[in-house]
Amino acid sequence: MRKYVKKTSVHETQRYVCGGLRRRPGRKYRVIYQSVLLENLQYAANLAMGFFSYFVFIYIFIRLWNYMYQAPGELIAGYAKEQMIWYVMMTEMIWFGSDSGALTRQVITDIRGGNIAYMMNKPYHYTLYILTKYTGEWSIRLPMYALLATVIGTCMVGAIPGFRIAALPVMILCVVLGITINAVFKICISLFSFRIEDATPFLWLYDKLLLVVGTVFPIEIFPVALQPFFKLTPIYTVCYGPAKLVVDFSAGKCIEILSAQILYLAAGCGLMFWIYGKGVRKLYVNGG
Amino acid sequence: MYAIEAEDLSKTFRVRVKEKGMRGSIRAILRPQVEKITAVDRVSFTVEEGEMLAFIGPNGAGKSTTIKMLTGILCPDGGSVRVLGLDPVKRRKQLAYQIGTVFGQKEQLWTHLTPYDNFRFFGAIYDIPDRETEERIGELAERFALEAFINTPVRNLSLGQRIRCEIVASLIHKPGVLFLDEPTIGLDPVVKENIRGLIRQMNREYHTTILLTSHDVGDIEKLCRRIIIMNAGQIVLDDSMEHLKQHYLSGEDAESVNSPSMSLEDIIMEIYRAEGRTEKV
Repeated sequence: MRKYVKKTSVHETQRYVCGGLRRRPGRKYRVIYQSVLLENLQYAANLAMGFFSYFVFIYIFIRLWNYMYQAPGELIAGYAKEQMIWYVMMTEMIWFGSDSGALTRQVITDIRGGNIAYMMNKPYHYTLYILTKYTGEWSIRLPMYALLATVIGTCMVGAIPGFRIAALPVMILCVVLGITINAVFKICISLFSFRIEDATPFLWLYDKLLLVVGTVFPIEIFPVALQPFFKLTPIYTVCYGPAKLVVDFSAGKCIEILSAQILYLAAGCGLMFWIYGKGVRKLYVNGG
Repeated sequence: MYAIEAEDLSKTFRVRVKEKGMRGSIRAILRPQVEKITAVDRVSFTVEEGEMLAFIGPNGAGKSTTIKMLTGILCPDGGSVRVLGLDPVKRRKQLAYQIGTVFGQKEQLWTHLTPYDNFRFFGAIYDIPDRETEERIGELAERFALEAFINTPVRNLSLGQRIRCEIVASLIHKPGVLFLDEPTIGLDPVVKENIRGLIRQMNREYHTTILLTSHDVGDIEKLCRRIIIMNAGQIVLDDSMEHLKQHYLSGEDAESVNSPSMSLEDIIMEIYRAEGRTEKV
């Protein structure tokens, strides 16, 4: 094992840093994740406030769909009443459980305020740092909202018709991929702040599109002509796909959604690295 | 061996300008006007390995922009720069492993974690094995007297304790060059002196090259043997502290006030005045 030496010359430092140590990129992101987890665990109780909003939202939708479904066994856009309510509960669970300041504000604030300059000279990739930080945040929130959704759903709606417990791991994977794709696209939009004054309005538009089209209503509710278009947008992979699998699982649908998610994630990450790479070269930070 | 080599380093910013009033705002939307501001203009200097250098100048002189180019944050428009033999722009990530930065006005520590957790975090970020990080934390905690609060969340520390932790965090990976940007800002005189002592000790024992930016003349006088003064993007003085004092106090400079009681602050103010700036250092 190397011993610490008091006098470290430049050459020694370079050998120490470049040659002597094995780079383990996975480890540093794991540590970032753990640190965020540690930090957020202190505030887990604060989440209870969000539970109330979630409950009110779901209660309104349960009342709405109870009114819309007048006859027992009626289908709307191919969904039974229980499926429709569970769909909204799942998408809202993803929405509330993955809501994060790291994603909605930090990137834009870092770029506009120049803080990004101080993070760039650390040996990690800034976008992966944000992504890991965000994962650490939703890792606490999402399971808590999942538990809440299960309790509310079971008590107020009943079990999901034809729910396959064996497919639960795939459903969880699909939800995780959906949240990650959403994060990647939000980071891409936030990175526009390198070019424009403020990317917040674009982030707001993206959020609202996702909320109205994929979260509150399933894609099948919308006119048939619009559905293929929606399936090409992130809506299909972020909220519609995971929720659809939970309420109406089929192997074919699962393969289709997972394939689309992998494609979206690859394309999204490529886009994110490209925008970031272009942005940092144009970085404008002056002042102390 | 030079730790830092900069030659004809230049950086120009494009800044949007707007005329006053509503008409100016509308005109700025329809026909945006951009003004070029030269932040750094053909700056050349070298820093020896293990040297402690003060890099000072009035606000807007170009010091921070130069440091950001040295650390790879900003791409220079012209000239060349090498830090520890590396091009900061092309090898930014590799260079990040070999330099440390402390910005007195920016926190790099995670405030909800303890200093110990933060140091472990930085150890992992810099790919240092856990056992080695532990040894390093033990050694630095002893040297910087952190034992009493190493397990207290950073948000509960005093400013002086936090700055000490910031410096330790930047030393975890044994950087070859340390950039200190106003490390004693907001500290009381006793804590300032304590931090200065630690910086001196760090330079002496670890042979770390230190580039110090500060508006506090005490920091400069007590820590550095060489001083670079920047103004309007250019180096207006690059001299040893000893020579600078002798030069001014002996009245070699016709413009200077030849007074035996002239302090370093007066000398720096004199240089700023000669360059057309009268702001307090």
